Amino acid sequence: MYVLGIESTSHTFGIGVVEYCENNIRILANVNDQYVPLKGGIHPREAAIHHTRVAPEVLLKALSRAGISLEELEAIAVALGPGLGPCLRVGASLARFLASYYDKPLVPVNHAVAHIEIGKYINRFEDPVILYVSGGNTLVAIQRKGKYRVLGETLDLPLGNLLDTFVREIGLAPPYLVNGKHQIDVCAEWGRDFITLPYTVKGSDLSFSGLLTAALELVEKYRGDKERLGDICLSFRETVFNMLVEVTERALVLANKREVLLVGGVASNKILQEKLSAMTKLHNARFGSTPSEYAGDNGAMIAYTGLLLYMHGITVEPDKAFIKQRWRLDEVELPWLMNY
Amino acid sequence: MVNELLEETLGVGAEAIIFKGVFLGRDVVVKQRIPKPYRHAMFDKIFRYSRTKTEAKVLAKLYSAGLYVPALVLVDLVNYIIVMEYIQGVKLSEIINELDEEKLRKYAYTLGLQVGIMHSLNIYHGDLTLSNILVEEDKVYIIDFGLAGFSNDVEEYAIDLHLLKRNLLAIAPDKTEVFFKEFLEGYKRNYRRDYNEVIERLEEIRLRGRYVEERLKRKTSRDKYV
Repeated sequence: MYVLGIESTSHTFGIGVVEYCENNIRILANVNDQYVPLKGGIHPREAAIHHTRVAPEVLLKALSRAGISLEELEAIAVALGPGLGPCLRVGASLARFLASYYDKPLVPVNHAVAHIEIGKYINRFEDPVILYVSGGNTLVAIQRKGKYRVLGETLDLPLGNLLDTFVREIGLAPPYLVNGKHQIDVCAEWGRDFITLPYTVKGSDLSFSGLLTAALELVEKYRGDKERLGDICLSFRETVFNMLVEVTERALVLANKREVLLVGGVASNKILQEKLSAMTKLHNARFGSTPSEYAGDNGAMIAYTGLLLYMHGITVEPDKAFIKQRWRLDEVELPWLMNY
Repeated sequence: MVNELLEETLGVGAEAIIFKGVFLGRDVVVKQRIPKPYRHAMFDKIFRYSRTKTEAKVLAKLYSAGLYVPALVLVDLVNYIIVMEYIQGVKLSEIINELDEEKLRKYAYTLGLQVGIMHSLNIYHGDLTLSNILVEEDKVYIIDFGLAGFSNDVEEYAIDLHLLKRNLLAIAPDKTEVFFKEFLEGYKRNYRRDYNEVIERLEEIRLRGRYVEERLKRKTSRDKYV
């Protein structure tokens, strides 16, 4: 049985295909095309135009990689949210068309759930504490009674957005990544000294906006001093990552779990991985991250989660498959989490 | 010096190791903030220093104001150690679901009174959850001031209430309403500044969460100005 998944919540248009055969799940294709802005951040309309342009090609490529035709599919899965409206509509339109034209069941997938499920699948984790960090989300969750429960989340900026905004404002980006390394890690290497910056952890919730403002003001104050800029970048990154590790550590201890899973676009950050891994060791727990192919937004995670949902009988009629720009992770009922 | 008196390890928390010991004939808790390998070395020191210092200051101030918190016995800012009174009691999180209504109301009200005084002293707790509240017969103790601090910003007080409510919803969803209502009765009685300001801010904080539908449905800026 084959399931196709469509991802278009933000800057990435992706299509993945998974196969289910004798209790075995395999990812057959994962084709993704990312919209890269020439300047500034993601413009929702421009991203949506990009998606419509690449959609047919990505679809055909994914099918040929998987070596199957559309008729052979068992179901079509699509990420209906959360995300940017114009972008979501591209994926949703394509999915509704495919489902009605080829008469296949349509499976609604929550993008955040998909990030977590693919991470659990790759690491073979059962019941982890989840740190989900991406351009649009920053939260710590555990699974309990049929849902992912959010223990703590950002009260203002999400992590990816925070890091990107910072390096953009100080004139280092775009491009945000150089050889897979974020600009913040590049400029942090120029620094040596630590500068105290605002540190805001409230219970298990995080707030980054004051920290961003303070760091940008410091950059302005020491404009032209590269060494000092390095110190600021280093301190900024250390402060941010420490806040994240602290809340994850508290969740691990309080919920008494044995696994820590890092997912989402920023999961490919090596420094964050090292820090979390070091923390996890202290508590004799296992740490799992997600390889970059599956950490950033991708079609395979939607296809995989779509398959799980489909096997539990969750589908939606195409004329009711509305996009949900604000579809919280902890709203989604997941049958396979009932026993936690 | 302290080390020789340690009897048992009470637990390894996220941030510190907690020991039980005896100091001058009294049962004490020894809380040591340990270095973390994931922190920048210089940051690690600054971090542990400031957290230990603030916690000690808060404890001393609250205890002298007559609140039910552990008495501060000793602070060692070189080794990031706080020694405080050992409190015999059970975590409210462990027994809340077995409490009868009368007891539940009583604890909630008493806690409200305490938190009201704490906020009136310009102190916030920062991690006000049911696992940080100990009860012993009729007494309600607040413990673990590791994230506490001094502030006269109503935001911090509202956050304390927000954390408590969210924790209640997670641990005892069907008792939340009664508990929180009774808690606010006590809180209102002792909070010296504008009570309504805290309640308004509390609602605002809830709506701030990511993708909360009501946020968009709430009054638009037009409603505010017209």
